[in-house]
Amino acid sequence: MSTPVIADPASNPAAEPAVVKGGPTLGQRVTSFMPVIALVALLTALTIADPDFLTQRSLTAAVRTSAPLVVLAAGATLVVLCGGIDLSIAALCSLSTVLFAMWLPDMGGLTILAVIAAAGAIGAVQGLAHVLLRIPSFVVTLGGLSIFSAIALVISDAGPIRVVDRDSTKWLNLYVAGYVPMSFFVALLVVAVVSLILKLTPLESFVKAIGYSESAARLAGTPVDKVKVAAFTVSGACAGLAAVMLASRNFSGSPTMADNLLLPAVAAIVVGGTAITGGHGSLWRSLAGALVVTLLRVGLPIVGVPSAWEQILYGAIIVAAVALTLDRSKVAIIK
Amino acid sequence: MTTNLQPHPETDASAPVNALEVRGLVKHYPGVKALDGVDLVVRQNEVLGLAGENGAGKSTLLKALVGLVRPDAGEIWVRGEKVRLRSVVEAADHGIGMVFQEQSLVPNLTAAENIVLGSEGPGVRRGIYRWDTMRKLAQEQLDKIGSHIDPLARTDSLSFAERQMVEIAKVLRIEERTSHPPVIILDEPTSVLESKEIETLFSQVRRLREFASVVFVSHRLDEVLDVCDRVAVLRGGQSVGETPTAGAVPSDLHRLMIGSTGSDDHYHEGLSERSVADSEPRLVVKGMSGKTFRDVDLDVRAGEIVGIVGVHGSGREDVCRALFGAEPTLAGEVTLDGAKLDLSGTRAAVASGIGYVPAERKIEGMVGPMSVADNMTLTKQKSRCAGPMVVPQKQATLVDKWIERLSIRTPHRGTQIGRLSGGNQQKVVLARWLVAGDIRLLLLDHPTRGLDIGARSEVYRLMRELANSGVATVLLADSLEEAIGMSDRIIVMNDGRATKEVACPSGGKPTPLDLVKEMV
Ligand SMILES: Nc1ncnc2c1ncn2[C@@H]1O[C@H](COP(=O)(O)OP(=O)(O)OP(=O)(O)O)[C@@H](O)[C@H]1O
Ligand SMILES: [Mg+2]
Repeated sequence: MSTPVIADPASNPAAEPAVVKGGPTLGQRVTSFMPVIALVALLTALTIADPDFLTQRSLTAAVRTSAPLVVLAAGATLVVLCGGIDLSIAALCSLSTVLFAMWLPDMGGLTILAVIAAAGAIGAVQGLAHVLLRIPSFVVTLGGLSIFSAIALVISDAGPIRVVDRDSTKWLNLYVAGYVPMSFFVALLVVAVVSLILKLTPLESFVKAIGYSESAARLAGTPVDKVKVAAFTVSGACAGLAAVMLASRNFSGSPTMADNLLLPAVAAIVVGGTAITGGHGSLWRSLAGALVVTLLRVGLPIVGVPSAWEQILYGAIIVAAVALTLDRSKVAIIK
Repeated sequence: MTTNLQPHPETDASAPVNALEVRGLVKHYPGVKALDGVDLVVRQNEVLGLAGENGAGKSTLLKALVGLVRPDAGEIWVRGEKVRLRSVVEAADHGIGMVFQEQSLVPNLTAAENIVLGSEGPGVRRGIYRWDTMRKLAQEQLDKIGSHIDPLARTDSLSFAERQMVEIAKVLRIEERTSHPPVIILDEPTSVLESKEIETLFSQVRRLREFASVVFVSHRLDEVLDVCDRVAVLRGGQSVGETPTAGAVPSDLHRLMIGSTGSDDHYHEGLSERSVADSEPRLVVKGMSGKTFRDVDLDVRAGEIVGIVGVHGSGREDVCRALFGAEPTLAGEVTLDGAKLDLSGTRAAVASGIGYVPAERKIEGMVGPMSVADNMTLTKQKSRCAGPMVVPQKQATLVDKWIERLSIRTPHRGTQIGRLSGGNQQKVVLARWLVAGDIRLLLLDHPTRGLDIGARSEVYRLMRELANSGVATVLLADSLEEAIGMSDRIIVMNDGRATKEVACPSGGKPTPLDLVKEMV
């Protein structure tokens, strides 16, 4: 049953659609492009430092290296947007490379889907533990990190497992349009598809409302728990996909293969300008952030920065990039 | 007329020097002139009221006085000396301190720690707390305001009113930084207090006047006239006049605030058009118990507004939240239009056509950084979707219509809701439940908290219209007067039980005193 509520605005003769002006100002538009600006600035700086850097080969190599990081960061961005954090992504990714190498002989081409599904399910379990047991996501995924690392070590006998059947992942090493590595193309596809789903459905509103103010979102009747579990699920599935990329490139799975990607993934998210406190940000930003992080990693040595300075520059540039990309008008408290 | 309305405060050379003087203060925010050349004089040992509609610029002006807002232009003079205030500490050095609209104490520290926090002085030696000295320092502060709060009590164990006393005691420490009488600023200190606590606060303010100047902001004009010596009025970021309070009545102030004459039928009783006595009960609550309430019986008919009154701790807020599924219930049966209601969560409540407007608007009612449009359609997503997809055009049309319908003043539907004035924010929060046209029961927890008279009146009108269209309403009013003015029936709650029902028809309203007798 529904009750008519005051005069339907449409039947009110005075209710011409309100004349509205305004919208985002020029300044706000510029801030939303900051991650791209930071990326271009970094490319320019690297090119100035070494004019030979900007070649098609080095760019291709850079984006191929970045693909697993882009995917990891994109998935974890969803959790961060909801106001949480997923520290388990890298460990889950390592575990998934082991699963991939172990399952490949039996399952063949289906292994890719099986690994992504398994990692997604593991992410969902973490999400459920977070919302049902009301444990902070930081703690749940810190526990996950340790558990997944241990499982990976046990089932792999603490060593790498060779990928025997290389045919089923050969396509990942192809090039799209001759230049774009397939793995990077897939990473772009993931970012684009997830972003589109967010944009075209109410999910974006839900995610942002939960991230900015969970209590307000709950009292507005939004499906807070479901959305959070979904975010952890996608984050897990992304870790699985990143694992497929890593294992197919290295022709092996190993229990520590992705472990050193956790901090770069978190760095990619914040360098993109996504607020670590939740609500504000996007997957596109994390894509730009992941490219900045990768360029720094591969670019600094190439242009001849001495290795002692590399870490210092890396740290300084990350901090400077966040200073540039974070839109402070959207984030109330900077922690 | 006994009031003396001056367009601009005159400065008289022979008069004793003013405690504080503001000349031509200007502050721009993107798209708004929050302050547009404000002049203000605070004399020594007076309580100055500051009145104005939501968004008139009161808080911005006061924040400029304690160095939290840097004005774009204009001058601030303290006791005849021009100053620049760049931080709360610099303002404190000049003897200006503020008790904030949102309370600013650290909840897990003791009252004593909070009072000395940031200016420990002899309370800390070689980096180590000296509890005895600290307790003594805090006790001195509390004695100044004649308060009996235990300095070693944890702040979160204190009542709201007690915490405010601690804040005042804390602010008074600025006396140690200057030899002059301080200026104490209170921005809407009463908006979250009960009437008895307000009395305590007022006696405190009168005591402060003996040795300090006080600036006091409230949207309840009778309060302003009661406690202040003089009232200055802001409109649209400009000073539009001032009046001594002796002999003034609220409508004088209101006229200054809005620049025209307001209506007298404040609660729009004239709009209440139909008798609800014979309509079917819509909400029936039988023996509902929760953590803070027990055995509550309640029924609300379609088109009826039922007020629940009670002091702090009466449990009425929790009854409201329980009906919305936001607070667990232990026992009881609740039906809506004859069907058993699922109280397990807010999603279920929304699905059965229940709406809830929480008291803490800024934290629970809205998502500040999101746009007006997204806040308005957050709950009833279907209203802007076709299938699973959002249709931006559909949302724009719907939101613009409701902006028009409720005359919400916002530059654009895409403006962040946090940038609007309180009244306009509240209208957006209310509109959230109306856009789908399927609302059956509205639970309103202090829906007019912090709103100016005009905005309040518009919210009252909206409530009347909703009731006339058949919506059942439960109202936790901001004051007894509001409960009496708006309700058709009033339930009195005491210690978690509904103890009394008072009929409240138009023409046969009880007095606030009748209700107070039932509440204690
Ligand atoms: N940080 C800010 N950014 C943008 N606009 C702001 C900001 N602070 C205040 N404003 C705008 O400045 C104007 C004055 O706001 P202010 O808070 O001073 O009003 P007020 O008189 O205290 O209102 P209320 O009675 O609702 O507390 C409003 O239009 C408000 O939207
Ligand atoms: Mg204010």
